[in-house]
Amino acid sequence: MQLTTNRARFGLPGTLALHLRLVAGWHILLSVVGATAVAYLWLANGGMVLWLKGISTAVLLMLTIASVLAVPALLRRQHRGRTLSLLVNYLGFVFALIALLHYAGVFIGIDALANTFGRGVLFFSVILAGYLVHGVADRFRDYPQTFRRLQRTGNWVMLAGLVAFLLAVGLIPGLLAFLARLGEPRNALLFGAVLLFGFVLWLMWRHEMASLLGEKSRDSEMLNGYLFLSPNLLGFLLFFAGPLLLSLYVSFTDSDAFGRQNWIGLQNYGEIFNLSVAPLQSPTQLAGEVLDVRVYDELTRFTLFGRSYVLGAQDKLFWIALRNTVMFVLTAVPLSVVPALLLAAVLNSQVPGMKVFRTIYFLPSIAAVVGVALIWRWLYNSTVGWINYFIASIVTLINQLAGAEVLTDPQIGWLSDTKVALFAVVIIAAWQWMGFNTVLYLAGLQNIPKSLYEAATVDGANSLTQFFRITIPLLAPTTFFVVSTTTIQAMQIFDQVYVLTNPPGGPGTSTTTIVLYLYTQGFRNFRQGYASSIAWVLFLLIFGLTIFQFQRQRSAAAE
Amino acid sequence: MFASQRLRKWLRYSAIYLTLTFFALVMLFPFLVMLFTSFKQVSDTFIFPPRLLPRVPVSAEVAGFEQPLPLYRVEFEGDTSEFVLLERSVRVGYFAPPANLETTYLRELDQAPATGETAVVNGVEQPLYRVELDGAFVPMVLLNRTAMARFANPEDLSQTVLAPLRTTPPVERIAFTLDNYRSVTELHAMDRSLTNTALVTIGVVLGQLTTSILGGYAFARLQFPGRDRLFVIYLGTIMVPFVVLITPLYQLMVMIGWVDRLASLIIPWIFTAYGTFLMRQFFLSVPKEIEEAAIIDGASRLQILWCIFIPASTPALASLTTFTFLYAWNSFFWPLVIINTGNENNRVLTLALSVLGGRAADSPNLVLAGAAIAVLPPVLIYVLGQRFFVESATSSGVKG
Amino acid sequence: MRIKQLWSLIALLLLVSLVLAACGGGTTTSQPAANEPAANTAVEPAAPAAEVTIRWRTRPDNQEEANVYQNISNQLDAQLEGIKLVYEPGGSETASYQDVLKTELASGTAPDVFWIPGTDVADFATRGLIYDLRPLANATPGYSDDAFYPGPMLHLTFNPATGKSGEVLWGLPRDVSTFALYLNLDLIEEAGAEDPRELEAAGEWDWDAFMEVAKAVSALGGEFKGYGGSAWWGPYGVWINAAGGSFFNADRTACALNTPEALEGLAFAQMLYTQSGVAVPYGEDPEPPFRAGKVGMFQNGRWATPGIRTVNFNWDVVGLPTGPNGEPGNWLFWGAYVVNANTPNPEQAWKLVQALTTAETQGKVAALGANIPSRVSQEALDAFLTFTPPANNQAFLNGLAQDPTAEGPLWAGSWPQFVTVMDAAISSLLTGQTTLDNFAATVCDEANKAFNR
Repeated sequence: MQLTTNRARFGLPGTLALHLRLVAGWHILLSVVGATAVAYLWLANGGMVLWLKGISTAVLLMLTIASVLAVPALLRRQHRGRTLSLLVNYLGFVFALIALLHYAGVFIGIDALANTFGRGVLFFSVILAGYLVHGVADRFRDYPQTFRRLQRTGNWVMLAGLVAFLLAVGLIPGLLAFLARLGEPRNALLFGAVLLFGFVLWLMWRHEMASLLGEKSRDSEMLNGYLFLSPNLLGFLLFFAGPLLLSLYVSFTDSDAFGRQNWIGLQNYGEIFNLSVAPLQSPTQLAGEVLDVRVYDELTRFTLFGRSYVLGAQDKLFWIALRNTVMFVLTAVPLSVVPALLLAAVLNSQVPGMKVFRTIYFLPSIAAVVGVALIWRWLYNSTVGWINYFIASIVTLINQLAGAEVLTDPQIGWLSDTKVALFAVVIIAAWQWMGFNTVLYLAGLQNIPKSLYEAATVDGANSLTQFFRITIPLLAPTTFFVVSTTTIQAMQIFDQVYVLTNPPGGPGTSTTTIVLYLYTQGFRNFRQGYASSIAWVLFLLIFGLTIFQFQRQRSAAAE
Repeated sequence: MFASQRLRKWLRYSAIYLTLTFFALVMLFPFLVMLFTSFKQVSDTFIFPPRLLPRVPVSAEVAGFEQPLPLYRVEFEGDTSEFVLLERSVRVGYFAPPANLETTYLRELDQAPATGETAVVNGVEQPLYRVELDGAFVPMVLLNRTAMARFANPEDLSQTVLAPLRTTPPVERIAFTLDNYRSVTELHAMDRSLTNTALVTIGVVLGQLTTSILGGYAFARLQFPGRDRLFVIYLGTIMVPFVVLITPLYQLMVMIGWVDRLASLIIPWIFTAYGTFLMRQFFLSVPKEIEEAAIIDGASRLQILWCIFIPASTPALASLTTFTFLYAWNSFFWPLVIINTGNENNRVLTLALSVLGGRAADSPNLVLAGAAIAVLPPVLIYVLGQRFFVESATSSGVKG
Repeated sequence: MRIKQLWSLIALLLLVSLVLAACGGGTTTSQPAANEPAANTAVEPAAPAAEVTIRWRTRPDNQEEANVYQNISNQLDAQLEGIKLVYEPGGSETASYQDVLKTELASGTAPDVFWIPGTDVADFATRGLIYDLRPLANATPGYSDDAFYPGPMLHLTFNPATGKSGEVLWGLPRDVSTFALYLNLDLIEEAGAEDPRELEAAGEWDWDAFMEVAKAVSALGGEFKGYGGSAWWGPYGVWINAAGGSFFNADRTACALNTPEALEGLAFAQMLYTQSGVAVPYGEDPEPPFRAGKVGMFQNGRWATPGIRTVNFNWDVVGLPTGPNGEPGNWLFWGAYVVNANTPNPEQAWKLVQALTTAETQGKVAALGANIPSRVSQEALDAFLTFTPPANNQAFLNGLAQDPTAEGPLWAGSWPQFVTVMDAAISSLLTGQTTLDNFAATVCDEANKAFNR
């Protein structure tokens, strides 16, 4: 019904048919260009990395084939032709536009924008004021005239602020320079391509063309779907999925960031997992006598059925880092989850002022980790820091109460003692994550129906029983979420350690975590292939853990 | 009966508040230390026992001295009085007559010249010194040497007293200084870092909102081939830790020349699976009928999204905004890899802060002023719009 | 609804298009104002005053040191014609300065001239990251390798391909430095200890005398320590050197940390840090407590002087105590200015390297307090002695004269890898987690992996 009216209103089949033929011609041209480009890529341009060449070829071939297929379909007025044409032209338009912006220096120009951004900040408040006026208008909905006037004023103020802001950050010189850059041959070419692709895109997208080719509502929905998803999908492919696959590839190479990248198969993974166990004559025998010390370093010793063994690893530091990370997870997760649950239970008891406390507890989780770590570095200072001062004060108090030296001041070297340094990091992490978890638990608690507690009270259960019998089981989904997100976060601990300890991971290797070790290998020793394989091992660990937790949660829920 | 119930209630309340207050203090204390230390002078930082409020020493003008002299609290004739410091280090010794080593006398070494004679004390031969005692000179042995400072009454410089400088408390008053903020912004270009961080954050938040809304809408409401399979892939990648991407992403940035460019902090971060997922979940809950009515009215998909879906999903937008804001503002690992530490112009706050932490390791007042600059803006925004923050955390928990 | 849509559309369009445009323009328009001609010259090569921008970088440990180099950069900028200098203070942390440099070299954004510690020359040279300046030096009238201390030059002219020195030139040494002990005289006097400077003058300044002073200061109370040394290879290396030991064997191809001499030095260090309790615990940064007046003797190089000049107690320096070998075992620290292998302007970069190492510039740097000139010239040394405090500048020069061990790169292996193993092993030794015997039995097995097999 709608289609026919459209055709009746806009139907100029003569022009449309011409347009259609033009577009078909354009696609023939594109096919030729595409095929030439592929040929050029393989015959002339030898300097390109193989995988990049492969991807470019794949994309070009795909577009060329789509283009070729589009021609007969368009001439036969099939809607498939429009879809293919839109696909080719849309991608062409996007690639040309991105290339144009890239070569015209728009992306790099963000730096220069930062230079002038400060000047414009004031006008931001003008925009904000306009928005406020606009918002105030809502209160006068009953007086249409005032309402409209206020809204209009708000809009104008916002617009004026925006224009002033853009002028202040250098719009005019910016535009001029951009136009000047368009004059460069490459940019002019790209600009032409953008216009052409854009024009064809517009031709094909129009209602008239859609009607002519018999667009159904399903087709329209599909095109809209891809269109809406496309910014996200393209970026996702370029900056996420692509690098993810590349990372897997790099993990099988000896890439060093200075140009070397040879395929070495599973060698990186082999080095990580190369372990060796040897029995010892006595628990104190030197490892060098039983292990091949040219390959293995002693990692640890253990006793099994009365015999002592020594465990050696080719990459000892990886295993130390793994142990530290596991220790960290095993302490930081309970320390940030259990108090959070208790605090949430207390907060949920409907006392006045709960919101204030909730605000305060949430505070650490929004502060920058770097800032937080620097604050704690100062608190941890062993000579003049607050924490040791508190400990000393408590020790003195206890001694005074007892009237004797029952305790001595431990004078903990928080960041210099290898035995406590990791725990110092745990404390910071727990401090920072606890408030967030509390808020999550609070939300979970508020979902539990009150009637359950009332029924339990009638049955004579005390509040402790209620807590264990009602609260904890019903909070299981929340607990699953809290524990798994905190675990994932904890497995990737880096910022805190990097800022807090000097050298990062110190003292010794006591706070070297997996991610820190990965950073060391990738950006200090520049074994980027090896670093990638560590990253994949970590990924698999996290993946396995999450699946494991998920399974347990599911089976618990099923019971 | 009634009284005991009230007592129990009162006890319960006080236990609750005690717990809550204790944890609130634990949460707040580091921030307080940061704030107060950032207003201190460097000489006021390495003090034991530590103290919160910033203090500056008080000096007094003394006739005959060009500079005012610092005041200290010393014991003088049984009273505590405020004296000025005349001399930092006077060599003194504890002397005792060889016959009675228990009573010692504190004298300046210069005023107790050696007599040239010796005495045998505890089996060791030791030199004797001429020590003045009640107007007479008595030969004594030197037991112990040390150094002390000389303090004097500012009104009457002849009233002097010797005391160890280290343990003598100076006279101080509470004073806040803004110098730290000034020197942090001027010397360490913290203001520029603040601008950069703000720009990056705005860019990432706006970009992520745009792509997530569009993508979320497509996943939630539009039928197209491959949609569900794509969505599963999106979901799967949420779990991938960022470090897996760091090496290839770095190499990609090298390839397109974005190393040390703010673009590398913005553009790769505006496409997220998580945001798309969040928006999709929310859009699913919008009733279909309104949308169908709008389509019959001839509204385009973009109009429907803008006029129906976005107004209806304020909570989801708020939570996505807050998450993205915090992530962009606080991110450290990626800037550390991709932005040159030597280039002050492109440093973001976290990076500038980590450099400052190394370069000013001996002036915690500066470091913590820098930390305050980095930490306070999100805190302020949080206090203003805390409803959204808490809701965002909550919605992530319920929906995740 | 229509109007609202229109408004939204206008606002959105304006924002997107104009911000994009603003970015694009910003690059060219604001760069002249921001003095970043690097991009400028690339865009407009025909600019009349064709100044070449040279970026250079050092690793300042504190703000005072950063200021010194900024001043030097400004002075040289006015002095060198046709070169525009941009000084970038690098990250201060020992751990990340070189890493960041390498990251930037890999991505092509590194500065043209940069300082690296002597130990890192081999790593940078064998990776092909730094420029061989030999051809440029040969073409420079009046240039001679002999103008600098031979220790550093041995490594700076080493050709890893042939294994000989003198064939290439990786850079010129910025400065040399030795360790001294910074003394808190107030504290030492209060403790009633002998003045270490007097002991040194009397020739009695050995490990025993050092322990006496340290013990006396520590006796003042729990928070006071007699000695503080930072946790890296320099401070503990001194004890090894002074006992006649060394990190490596004579031709630097294997670990020598398990020789009896090295172990004797480490035994003393272990006693100092663990049993005696007179030292700031290994791993704690001793500089803050020293500057807070809680440490009697603080072992550090000349580079710490600018920062220590701000303390408010009486201080001076004294040479290191002599060990069982009769020598203090000092290091000759050095670092070199090297040139980025991919710099577009190697000639100008070489000019800057020369200008940064002239006697005049070195004198200025020394006057500002951070460095000892790297040129072998009595004039420069005499000038250095006048830059007080500390009054006892001679202590640093004595260190130079007392046969110090020059720090150096490992051409036969990876210094970063070696030092990682060594630091970890010695850290657990000096914090009492392992015994000397255990250390001796295992350390070289692990450390030798740093050498090319």
